[in-house]
Formats: sequence, C-alpha cells, structure tokens
Amino acid sequence: MATKILSVDDSRTIRLIVGKAFKPYDVALVEASNGEEGLTVAAREKPDLIILDVTMPVMDGVTMLTKLKEDPALKGIPVIMLTAESGRENVLQIARLGVRDYLVKPFKEDQLIEKAGRCVTLQKRPVVAPA
Amino acid sequence: MQPNPDILQYKEYARRYGIAATPESVSRLTQLVARQDSCVDEIVRVIEKDPALTARLLRVANPRAVDESEYTIGTVDEALMRNGIGCALLLAMGTPLSLALVKTFQTMLSLKLEPVDVHELDSLEGEHMRCAIGFAGKVTGHVYLRMSPATAQAIAARILGLDPADFGPDEIRDAAGELLNIMTGNFKSNLCDAGLDCKLEPPKVGMTEDLVTPIEPGSGLERLAFRADHIQIFVEVTANPWSD
Repeated sequence: MATKILSVDDSRTIRLIVGKAFKPYDVALVEASNGEEGLTVAAREKPDLIILDVTMPVMDGVTMLTKLKEDPALKGIPVIMLTAESGRENVLQIARLGVRDYLVKPFKEDQLIEKAGRCVTLQKRPVVAPA
Repeated sequence: MQPNPDILQYKEYARRYGIAATPESVSRLTQLVARQDSCVDEIVRVIEKDPALTARLLRVANPRAVDESEYTIGTVDEALMRNGIGCALLLAMGTPLSLALVKTFQTMLSLKLEPVDVHELDSLEGEHMRCAIGFAGKVTGHVYLRMSPATAQAIAARILGLDPADFGPDEIRDAAGELLNIMTGNFKSNLCDAGLDCKLEPPKVGMTEDLVTPIEPGSGLERLAFRADHIQIFVEVTANPWSD
C-alpha cells in the first residue's frame, strides 16, 4: 500500500514542488491549503506523514500542530515543518510541541526526501517497461 | 553569567534540524538596533568591522550617487548621524534578505544570483510585476520585489520545473509570491531573535507601471539589485524601528 503524505501549504508552488519530489516514490499525496483544511484532511485520510507550513491564512501551522497533538487519533502522525521561519521562538515552540523534523525554505527536493525517509518508508515506484 | 537556557536549547534544536545561523555581525547589529538605548559608537564599530555592511550603509546614505566618487557622506559615523539608526536596521534586514534570495535561486532554481549595484541593471520600463509584503510590530515596513514579466515567467518555469506553455498567470504570481515569502520569512526570524517582534502580512502580487516606492514617515529605504543570466531582480526594503 502506498505511503500517504499530507502537504499543508497555502502556496500552490510549494505543493507542486512537494508533489514533484515524491513522484518517483510509491506515495499517495493529499493536499490542504491552510491549517483548518489540513486538520479535516488529516482526520479523514489518516496520513502517515504531514508536511506543514507555518504562515498560512485561516489557520497557521503552529495552531494546526497544537490541535493535532491534542487529538488522540492524530497525535501520533509524524510532522515535518517546512517553513521559511527559523527564528528562535518559532523553532522552540514548534520543537516543544513535538515536531519530528524541521526544514527551512529554500530547500532541495533531496533534503525533503531524506527527512521524510527518516519518518516513513519510501519505496521507489516500479518502472513500467514500454509495451 | 549563566547562558540563557532557551538559547542553548534553540542551538541544540538548530543543530538537530540543520538550521543555519545568521551571520554574527548581522545578529549583533540587529540586537544593537533593537535596543533603543544603544550607543551609536557601538553600532559604528560593528558596521566598520564588516566591509560589506559599510559599503551598503554608504550606498543607502548616498541614494543619488551613481558611484563612490559622488558620495557626499563618506564615513559610517556620518551616515548614521545624518540618517539615523533606522539606516542600520535596513542593513541588518537587507543581509538576511539578500542571503535568502541568493540561496533560494541556488537551491530551488539552480541559478547563481549575483548581487549588483542598482545602477548596473537596466531600469524597468512599462508594466512589470511587483510583489509586496508588509510587516508590523516593533518594526514596521515593507519588502518589495520587482521584475519584468519575462523574468517572472522564467522564475516560475525554473521553480516548478515546467515548460512555460504548461502553466499560466496564476502559477507565475504564486511562484513570485512564494519567493518573496521565503526571503521575508528568513529576515523576520532575524528581527524576532533580536527582540524586534513583528508579523508578516500575506504577500500581494500584481502588475504595475508605477516605479515609486511608498516610504512611511520616519522610515528609510534600501534598494538592492540582483542578476543571473537574463534575470534581473530589484528588491526594496522600507523599515521604521520602534514604531509601536
């Protein structure tokens, strides 16, 4: 069964880059564009990993992470923060909430794959031979 | 003196997550500017130790000069006396912005972006893309990113790894807005770490022919320029410290 990853980011650009990074792997990617939508999708899809931005409209990533960790059904899902904000207060608050890893934008797709690979099993998609 | 446990813990998390530190001179300068009782001599010493900061301060202090021979303000001391400490804040903010932009191009576009003097680039003419992001709190201001439509399209194509025929204006605007988000997120971290807490507003991206940058009363303005292949980017920063 494919590894399910939820990407929560208000930027379509970032969601496209995340999608491109996981394309070679057996990953089912689901998306949300803010924290509120992210919580709904997380509850419905029960992803194996969440990749979460911080600054978003409607509900930011820190609030989503806080609510996620308060929910017994969702708190075990590993979260990687993917954000341009690496300030001391932000990092301390997020790390103390129990984030699995932290990746600062700008990032390389390889870095994301390496960090995700430490949280979930990433298997290459089988190459389909041309008919 | 006992080290601050939060700083020690932050350093441990930063090491664990691979988060790079801001250059020491920039952190020090931001901390000094953040303290309203800082002595100007102390700020002068920090800037003078860093040739890049000194050169940028003199550029900001001589906005009409085309090159150094036209400078009317020639020393760090004089630049700060004439323009105020807000000028030093612009320097402290411009460095993380500049580093973040260059790093973003290197990591996400595989392009080596070179900071250049604004006068070295062809000025924008006609309609161009302007991305703006405001920040408010203990320091207020705006960061603007300006580029030609062709540059905006080239950037989106490289970030997304797609042919320009495969995406439209929405993707171009989103990519430009995200570029600005990444830059400002990095410099906001530096400001907050120094005690200048502020919040970012969502980026606004649009086309304009207007080349005038609005400057709030009491604010300073720094213009930065960058070049890579056929890409030319202009960055403008306005900032007013202790505005709350």
